[in-house]
Amino acid sequence: MAHLTRRSVLQGLAAAGTTRLLAFPHVAKAAATTASVWFAQGFVQDEDVALRKAVADYEKASGNKIELTIIPFAPERQKIISAITSGVVPDMVDSNPAEILSLYGWQDKWVDVSDVVDTQRGQFSETALQSAQAYNNVTKKRGLYGVPLRAGVAPCHIWRTLVEKAGFKIEDLPKTWDAYFDFFKKVQDSLRKQGERKVYGLGFQVTASGVDPYNLFSAFLIAYGGRDIVTKDGKLHLGDPKVREAAVKAVGYLGGAYRDGYVPPSAVNWNDADDNNAFHAKLMVMDIDGTLSTEVAIKEKHPEWYQHEIVTHGFGYPNDNAGKPVPSIVGFTNGLIPKGAKNVTVAKEFLTYFIQPKVLGEFVELGLGRWLPVMPALAKSPFWQNPNDPHLRGYVQQGLLGPTLPDYYVFNPAMAEVRNQHVWSLAMIDVAKEGVKPAVAIDKAFKRIEEMFAKYPIA
Amino acid sequence: MMDGASVVDVGRWAVRRRTLTRSLRGRLQGGEYTWAVAFVVPYLAVFATFVAYPVVYGLWLGSEPSLYRELLRDPIYQGTIVNTVLYLALGVNVKMFLALLLSGFFMRPGWWMKVLLLIFVLPWAVPQISTFISIHWMLNGEWGFLNNALYTLFHVEGPSWLNDRWMALGAVIVSHIWKWTPFWTLILLAGRMAIPLEIRDTARVDGATGVRGFVYITVPLLANLYLISTLLSTIFLLGDFNAVYFVSGGGPADSTHVLATLGIRNAFDIAQPRLGVAAVMSALPLVIPLVIVLMRRLRTTEVQL
Repeated sequence: MAHLTRRSVLQGLAAAGTTRLLAFPHVAKAAATTASVWFAQGFVQDEDVALRKAVADYEKASGNKIELTIIPFAPERQKIISAITSGVVPDMVDSNPAEILSLYGWQDKWVDVSDVVDTQRGQFSETALQSAQAYNNVTKKRGLYGVPLRAGVAPCHIWRTLVEKAGFKIEDLPKTWDAYFDFFKKVQDSLRKQGERKVYGLGFQVTASGVDPYNLFSAFLIAYGGRDIVTKDGKLHLGDPKVREAAVKAVGYLGGAYRDGYVPPSAVNWNDADDNNAFHAKLMVMDIDGTLSTEVAIKEKHPEWYQHEIVTHGFGYPNDNAGKPVPSIVGFTNGLIPKGAKNVTVAKEFLTYFIQPKVLGEFVELGLGRWLPVMPALAKSPFWQNPNDPHLRGYVQQGLLGPTLPDYYVFNPAMAEVRNQHVWSLAMIDVAKEGVKPAVAIDKAFKRIEEMFAKYPIA
Repeated sequence: MMDGASVVDVGRWAVRRRTLTRSLRGRLQGGEYTWAVAFVVPYLAVFATFVAYPVVYGLWLGSEPSLYRELLRDPIYQGTIVNTVLYLALGVNVKMFLALLLSGFFMRPGWWMKVLLLIFVLPWAVPQISTFISIHWMLNGEWGFLNNALYTLFHVEGPSWLNDRWMALGAVIVSHIWKWTPFWTLILLAGRMAIPLEIRDTARVDGATGVRGFVYITVPLLANLYLISTLLSTIFLLGDFNAVYFVSGGGPADSTHVLATLGIRNAFDIAQPRLGVAAVMSALPLVIPLVIVLMRRLRTTEVQL
């Protein structure tokens, strides 16, 4: 038997490699028309069905192949962050978490997609376009790195049955901010008198988990006049007395409601889904929570809840205490192409296909309307204007047609840190549980925020 | 043309190379050496890919001193260190001591003891994530089983167990002890069963029964096993994520994190993977000495179980 030598092993490997290349040349060719896409799994199965349909339609129309990976929400965000950190990236991802657009845009990790957005620029809402840009600290310029795909806003969800049980009507709801939320305190007081031991008026997420507490605080901050805490140029304005006063009022109201017993005690340790579960368990009369997931989740199992017992339609947010409308902060899912993606061409082509109004409209509608469209024209469809649906018209009015703002981190990624490190939550909990005065809690929060912004200077 | 010194240098280099080649080849001849290399390379590749690379990459990710400065400034990290120390100190020692006592209890004869042991190991045998989630729900202040039972049976309004840092951390520690005591009891039970009957009988004849037997026979013979189990448990617990994540969620207000959960929070919730790795890496000054001590104990050749 002949000895195996180093030379013979190397020769064998070289021969095997050459044979593979000659035998399977189409693999290399196929790769040029294939793009890998990661997307977060939907809250309801219909969302995934809608996504798969859009992908299948694109494949049929283009002849290209999309390797679609649908991953549950939390693992997907871990997978994306790991991919960007390691540099081994797919061709397209959705912005999960949403703020990665800004955080990694700062680090020059995204491909500019203005050419994709330009194909439908006139269709997008102004807020959607603002959400798609980020400041690039390498080029020292803002760039368009996201392609808006869908949106979500945080409506007020109210149990009509509990309001009526307390002896009130939904029509009794006041139209201005403080009076509106105080109304639910009266509802709770009335229910308690009737022997309801465990019903709370307000489902405020006074917790340091998830994005709900940040969204809740931001809504109150804006309602109290602190809208300019971060301006479009990315500058922080904590020195503005109006901003400080609004922040103090917001933390005072939210923390005070908990301290006074109008918020479920467990709210200080809720995770992202706990408020939904508590609402469905009728632990509280109302909450402010992102998207229509609260309603969509029970639509099939409890159609009577969806149709009659839970209310969102027609309210949006109440006006501020002076009677002026309060804009809602809208969060967007953007399509992103990481730098280092192997097939930018197909990824861009897919996104260009995906944002055609017909495709995008069908995508959000097939998902039962949990997510909003990002083009105002799509709000006029029979789906969103269906007079028999008690939620959709109000939802699309609040998040697309009414006054809206993008989240502050699109102007400066430091605000993403403020959100993720739960700076507002800690202030709320200080007031709610530790008895700290609102002004003191806000001073402490402002100090942390200033430290965070120092890491993201924008010229 | 080379001068004398160069010739000597070349000669030395050639000799060194020949010696190195000989020591690498050992007594292998010709093709045997190639075969040996061919067999070793896959193992080296697997080691490099799945052992060396992740460790080195992790060290590299957490190598910037600025990350540790940032961690030390973070009040949540400071609280996390305190939690981790308490979790280790109470979680490991209470659990191991209970396991030591219970392993003695389960040495008793009788079929019912075997049935009891079977029931006792259930917490360890069932999947931990679902049980920790159940504990989380059970401790909910408004509609959890515990408070509902308290109200139904005694008309007592129970506290919000997970709303206070120390109660939440206590719940995590108790959950961990409940989950893992059966496992370590089984280990120590096996150790006790390995003590030769003659030693026990002889001791009994000499009057070492009950507590005296435990102190003078069981403890010395189980000491090495107990120490190794404690070291292993400490190392496992330093990397434990599930109990904290699913029972308290690190809350309220991020006050019950341990290093493992803080690492995940920093890496993925606040999208700073390097900071997350640094948080976990900061346990290394404790882990490395523990591993060294453990290795040394495992090399001990004294007559101990």
